Amino acid sequence: MLLGVGITFVAFVLTELVPGDPAAANLGQRAIADPAAVQAFREHYGLDKPLPVQYAVYLQHLVTGDLGQSEQSHRPVRADLSEYVPATAELAVTSILLAFVLGITLGVVAAVRRNRLTDQVLRVISLGGISMPTFWLALVALYVFFFKLGWVPGSGRLDPGVLPAPHVTGLYTVDALLAGQLDVLGTALQHLILPAFVLAAYNVGLLTRFTRSAVLEVINNDYVQAARAKGLPERTVVLRHVLRAALPPIITVGGLAFANVMTGTVLVESIFAWPGIGQYAFHSATTLDLPAIMGVSLFVAIVYIVVNFVVDILYGVVDPRIRVT
Amino acid sequence: MSVQRLPLRFRISLRRTPGTLGSAWTQPLAIAGMILAGAWILIAIFVPLIAPYDPLAQSSQLVLEPSSAHWFGTDELGRDVFSRVLWGSRLSLPLAFFLVAMAVAVGGILGGIAGYFGGWVDEVIMRATDLVFAFPTIILAMAVTAALGPSLRNAVLAVLVVFWPSYARVVRGLVMSLGQADYVSATRLLGASSRRALVVDVLPNVAGPVMVLATLDLGNAVLLLAGLSFLGLGAQPPTPEWGSMVNTGTQYFERWWMGTFPGFAILSVVLAFNFLGDSLRDALDPRSSWAVQGRDR
Amino acid sequence: MSSLLEVKGLRVRLPTTSGLVTVVDGIDYEVERGQVFGIAGESGSGKTISVLALLGLLPDGAEVEGSARFENQDLLTLGRRSLREIRGREIAMVFQDPLTSLHPMMTIERQLTEHVRYHLGLDGTKARVRAVELLQQVRIPDPAGALGAYPHQFSGGMRQRIAIAIALACGPRLLIADEPTTALDVTVQAGILRLLDGLRRQSGLSVIMITHDLGVMSSIADWLSVMYAGRVIESGPTAEVLARPRHPYTAGLLAALPHPEAAEDTPLVSIFGAPPSPYARPAGCAFHPRCTFAIASCATDVPGLLDVGDGRRLACPVDPLLVRA
Repeated sequence: MLLGVGITFVAFVLTELVPGDPAAANLGQRAIADPAAVQAFREHYGLDKPLPVQYAVYLQHLVTGDLGQSEQSHRPVRADLSEYVPATAELAVTSILLAFVLGITLGVVAAVRRNRLTDQVLRVISLGGISMPTFWLALVALYVFFFKLGWVPGSGRLDPGVLPAPHVTGLYTVDALLAGQLDVLGTALQHLILPAFVLAAYNVGLLTRFTRSAVLEVINNDYVQAARAKGLPERTVVLRHVLRAALPPIITVGGLAFANVMTGTVLVESIFAWPGIGQYAFHSATTLDLPAIMGVSLFVAIVYIVVNFVVDILYGVVDPRIRVT
Repeated sequence: MSVQRLPLRFRISLRRTPGTLGSAWTQPLAIAGMILAGAWILIAIFVPLIAPYDPLAQSSQLVLEPSSAHWFGTDELGRDVFSRVLWGSRLSLPLAFFLVAMAVAVGGILGGIAGYFGGWVDEVIMRATDLVFAFPTIILAMAVTAALGPSLRNAVLAVLVVFWPSYARVVRGLVMSLGQADYVSATRLLGASSRRALVVDVLPNVAGPVMVLATLDLGNAVLLLAGLSFLGLGAQPPTPEWGSMVNTGTQYFERWWMGTFPGFAILSVVLAFNFLGDSLRDALDPRSSWAVQGRDR
Repeated sequence: MSSLLEVKGLRVRLPTTSGLVTVVDGIDYEVERGQVFGIAGESGSGKTISVLALLGLLPDGAEVEGSARFENQDLLTLGRRSLREIRGREIAMVFQDPLTSLHPMMTIERQLTEHVRYHLGLDGTKARVRAVELLQQVRIPDPAGALGAYPHQFSGGMRQRIAIAIALACGPRLLIADEPTTALDVTVQAGILRLLDGLRRQSGLSVIMITHDLGVMSSIADWLSVMYAGRVIESGPTAEVLARPRHPYTAGLLAALPHPEAAEDTPLVSIFGAPPSPYARPAGCAFHPRCTFAIASCATDVPGLLDVGDGRRLACPVDPLLVRA
């Protein structure tokens, strides 16, 4: 929790570094015309008081969920976030799942065929995955698969004119499934595929490498030999015994994978016209909409902490030796 | 009596260090990495002689497709993309080296201090690294650059802020474990000063893992800088920076050459550094080596 | 009646960075039904590799020569599938360190039942009943409760009992125990040996007991084979061999054992030098550089394992009457 306070402190300091009058910037036109509004704004955010007090006010607002007001949309940042988060959530979750499935599979294959051709090829591929600029991959993928081949739709989350299913989670695919609207589900999935794969690329490379080395660490352990001595088929030995033992270090990559996806969304959501917080962050950065930038940063940091916490718990689930009794 | 060779099929090799094709440096991947990195370094050095056009020279030949006159085509202001891509190396490569060197220096020193002196110094420095690690890289880098104002210089600063903690952690860990090591105690017992013990005995052992991390971070530095420039927070036009070139490329989507080639340059440079870093890691820790197998005699 | 297992001319070469190395250099032995057959030797003598060869558990690229007749089948020529059916079911193995030979992340129940279900086709409930039976047989307290536990929750001795239970789960005819008590406390050792002895008397189980500890040999093994540098150099009824060793190496080993009732200042005897590594075995008799009875021919001729009466075999040309116990 000390960390949380630290984060808010950093965010606050960064806000203070920016020259200019936040009130004027925020209220825009109104600032010139209406001094009372400016004054109200000042009081609300404690801008006329000394810095430590400002920080306290800031924290106080945070606790009540007030993240300030976006300079661009002139809405509370919080409202902006709640509108854009589901889109990114849908994309992020899909991408991470994809990355884990693909990455772990490839990693196991690479470990099993250690140092032979398959392994070498996978090594190059995985290095390629972590070397690729995500925004460039998005561009190229879009160009090839949308522009030239027409296999996937180009932008947005749904085809134009299609309405999303009744809002339950905000995840179009899940909502469509729940409402039984399979056509909406179909188009949502079509739009989801390309961005999800592009975002997964880096993580697939990462996971392949991690899985490979985790499996190799485990492979020489006695219990693997013992499993063979029981007469179990090699496939069972690998999948059940080896993989399970290799899982803990792989799971810890989960937090890293999430961070990578977050980074990726900032870079590619605008390319895919995906209305998520990545695009929001991008937009805020380019227009220097500070409350928005700070709001997004804080939000993402907090989610990141939660994710890491979940990862720690999962670690205990998989490895009974470190469970807290 | 029969002689059988047990088949290699779906069997996980139980060998830890198989016969390798010579040392790690002759592995095909290391060679590829060295050639590629070497090529880019040469390009960066000799670009004024190689580039056919001035990267900033605008012309009326707007958004032309690649041709014999302009190998990578021209951009929206009529500038030759090929020359701009080549000149981009002058920006990205030195900056990447500079960034990593500084991150290693700052992180290494802070980490060394933390590990060596322990106590509250250690606590403070570790909390600082925790703080940085709490943010996904680009968010923090974005926030810093946005706060300080979008410019290449500030982007470099932001990346530095994001990179140093990894080194601090690594160096601290190594210093702490080595500090207990017998041979360091022996040196101290013999009367050598603490500082000398640190430099002469501890440093060489710390160098290995740091080198691996640093080589891989070269690639990450290029990616992050390009990413920030792509967002408009780093290099500003008309500077020929690869990331910002890709950004322009997204605005001129059908003119595929404008965004593809700069991005490809990024990919090849990062790939080269990653090939090298991976080979370095193999050389230092053959256990999980991806080495190509030699033939058993 | 024929023996349960008849090994002839077993030779194993393992791949290393400097080519193939002969680890097991032509050994012969027979294991009878219901017998505890001991293989004694130091590390590097090839004793573990020789049994791994029987089960087909050698590393990739290993070369095997010879024959191993088990119940009318030559184990060394069997295909993978047939060998897998024998492993765990007809021939089972217990490894040295139960901390590493049991899978740390799988429940005891799972480790006990997975091969039972695979080999014998039992369903979940029946397998669980069998698991409880097995745990009772090896005297684990609260067998039903133990099923859901994990290996790290048990002491070393209990873990080894569990490992034995796992090995016996499918009712094998031959149990190979590789240094089963070496990783355990002396007091716990006795318990395990008693358990093994009891089990084999109950069910007519044959046991191959591999250990370097002659004390363990004398307490449980009926027949003893002594291995040195990949060859069997002496074999016969355990009591006989230990009381009247005929090979200089065996004699040396026995002489090196500190006698509990010797006078206080009796010097400790040891065989000078060290056993040769498989890479650098001497020509002729492998023991000759360390042998005080060596004659000229020992440096050039490999002594064959010959019958010398009373079921004993010896691989040494030196007149046995000259070798004192």
